[in-house]
Amino acid sequence: MKEQQSIPTSKVARSAKFVGTGIKIGGNYLKHYSKKLFDPTRDKEELNNDNANDIYDSLSQLKGSALKIAQMLSMDKNMLPKAYTDKFSLAQYNAPPLSGPLIVKTFTKYFGQTPDNIYDKFNLSAAHAASIGQVHKAELNGRKLAIKIQYPGVGSSISSDLKLVKPFAFRLLGMSEKELDIYMNEVEEKLLEETDYELEVKRSIQFSNACAKLDNIVFPTYYPELSSRHIITMDWIEGLHLKEYLATNPTQEERNKIGQALWDFYNYQQHELHAVHADPHPGNFLITPDGKLGVIDFGCIKEIPDDFYYPFFSLTTTSILEDKEQTIAAFRKLEMIQDKDNPQQVEFYRAAYKEMIELFAQPYIKGTFDFSKPDYFDKMYAYGEKISKMPEFKQARGVKHFIYVNRTNFGLYNILHDLGATVKTDTYKPTLHSN
Amino acid sequence: MLLCIVTLVSVTNNKSNIIMATRQQLEDAYIDHVLTRGERPVSVYVFAKDQGITEQEFYDHFASFDAIEAAVWTESVETTIQQAQGQEVWNGYSAREKALSFFYSYTEYLKSKRSFVVYSLKQIPPGFLTPAVMKGAKELFDVFANEVIQQGLESKELEDRPFFAKRYKDGLWAQFVFILNFWVKDSSTGFEKTDEAIEKGVNLTFDLYQRSPIDSMLEYGKFLAQNAGFNFSHK
Repeated sequence: MKEQQSIPTSKVARSAKFVGTGIKIGGNYLKHYSKKLFDPTRDKEELNNDNANDIYDSLSQLKGSALKIAQMLSMDKNMLPKAYTDKFSLAQYNAPPLSGPLIVKTFTKYFGQTPDNIYDKFNLSAAHAASIGQVHKAELNGRKLAIKIQYPGVGSSISSDLKLVKPFAFRLLGMSEKELDIYMNEVEEKLLEETDYELEVKRSIQFSNACAKLDNIVFPTYYPELSSRHIITMDWIEGLHLKEYLATNPTQEERNKIGQALWDFYNYQQHELHAVHADPHPGNFLITPDGKLGVIDFGCIKEIPDDFYYPFFSLTTTSILEDKEQTIAAFRKLEMIQDKDNPQQVEFYRAAYKEMIELFAQPYIKGTFDFSKPDYFDKMYAYGEKISKMPEFKQARGVKHFIYVNRTNFGLYNILHDLGATVKTDTYKPTLHSN
Repeated sequence: MLLCIVTLVSVTNNKSNIIMATRQQLEDAYIDHVLTRGERPVSVYVFAKDQGITEQEFYDHFASFDAIEAAVWTESVETTIQQAQGQEVWNGYSAREKALSFFYSYTEYLKSKRSFVVYSLKQIPPGFLTPAVMKGAKELFDVFANEVIQQGLESKELEDRPFFAKRYKDGLWAQFVFILNFWVKDSSTGFEKTDEAIEKGVNLTFDLYQRSPIDSMLEYGKFLAQNAGFNFSHK
């Protein structure tokens, strides 16, 4: 393995990293086809190896905050799937806009009609990019609409890309296929769900109804009859993305209001619905002109099963952590401590995970929490750094549900940090009526 | 006299209708034959007999079985161009979008003829860019491609490079053959992968045809070649 010379820091550098990989992979294909020209029997083995090498090279150089969070949850192996989820959102972000003719074709394919015939007005050039598609502005019966159109072939490329890099993950991480598959499948399943727009419409309607009673949150109306596998029609929500909103210098009070709405939104889902919008990406939210939070993307929903929910949240909300035996029992349920561990290992993992859970639970301890303070996040990163250097964490640990539950909560913490919000953290608390 | 002409016209019209119909019938019958049996009829004689016509009548419409297949290909391109040009948005499209629109309409149109396309392409020996059965289709496509490229050159969307600009249409034909072969092998739902291949392939082709750093490089090189010599003479 090559020495890593530098760590890409800014988001721009990270995208550049992937662009670089893209170019390299393009080069690999050229190499493949030019060799194939002279020897048509060549198989794709070498090509796949070349690609996977380049993909992995660039993935393993990405050690930004995203990866630290995954490491922090002490499942070093999560680093890989996490890097994938990041890679996909970045790769999609870089996808060139669909051409007008392809949009027309997509509509005729699913509705038998051109967009001009379906809507009163339809703008053929995209308003902005969505995670795996693009959004167009349209109008029908005086209503402003947002039409999300998916890039073709996203679904199949997710599966094939994951397959491509798998062998390298085994080699580099020294994990068995079975171990790795548990995490890989979880990620693949979620990513594939995101490509099913019919499912997304169904869930969007379900979740926006379930969360309708929350304060200061707005959801667009969805139109299932004008949606299909690759097209979603919903109301256009006016508003600013987080970065743009922060640039307008909102008052502390306004930030707190948005932060509170975010906190309530996530914790209501986790603790009341036991299923959560698992993609707290800033691009999935808008701040409306009247200072409310607009939620515009329900592509990724993580259902939290009871056998994960109860052991995990009992750790964060009760005094179990003070009791060694109970803590170990809970860690065993979550597979953070395993049967094959010897007594020293049990003690080692107990201490390391205890530190992590305490960090995770810190916002819950007092009724309010100020997310603007950098010391909490510094502590988190320091912990991640420490963990990443421990050989004990080179092994897969923890049940698969950690991937998305962590992504959700630490993602939320990060957004609240960006917002600089102080929120009441006791609005929707974990409920532990059973167990 | 006037009446006479009118009758004459209607007679010729009728006659051509009959011929057209039989031509279409022969085409359909032939396609049905090759697709259900997986091979060509033994001879024109047998085929004509099956259709209840004489061999002579068959030759009134087609010179050979190859000619029938060629006609199907030609019609496919002809119909697609008409359909694409019939869209409301057509006139607002750039050259690039017109090419894209053609290929999307074409693969959509071919869906109804997929079995025939698979059969017909299988008969073609590998490595042929323009098989005999596609000659007529290519001629039509070339006319279309030329028009589109001409529009692009006039609007400066494409770079008018001496010599190369005349070959641009050949690049589009290569795309045509590639996309066709890709589509035949495509097993993705709704031939999504073909849509991707079209989007990426045609965009690349047009990116190459538009002004690029290479043009600037060549111009700069030319400039240096002409003017550097001038500088040297001062030394």
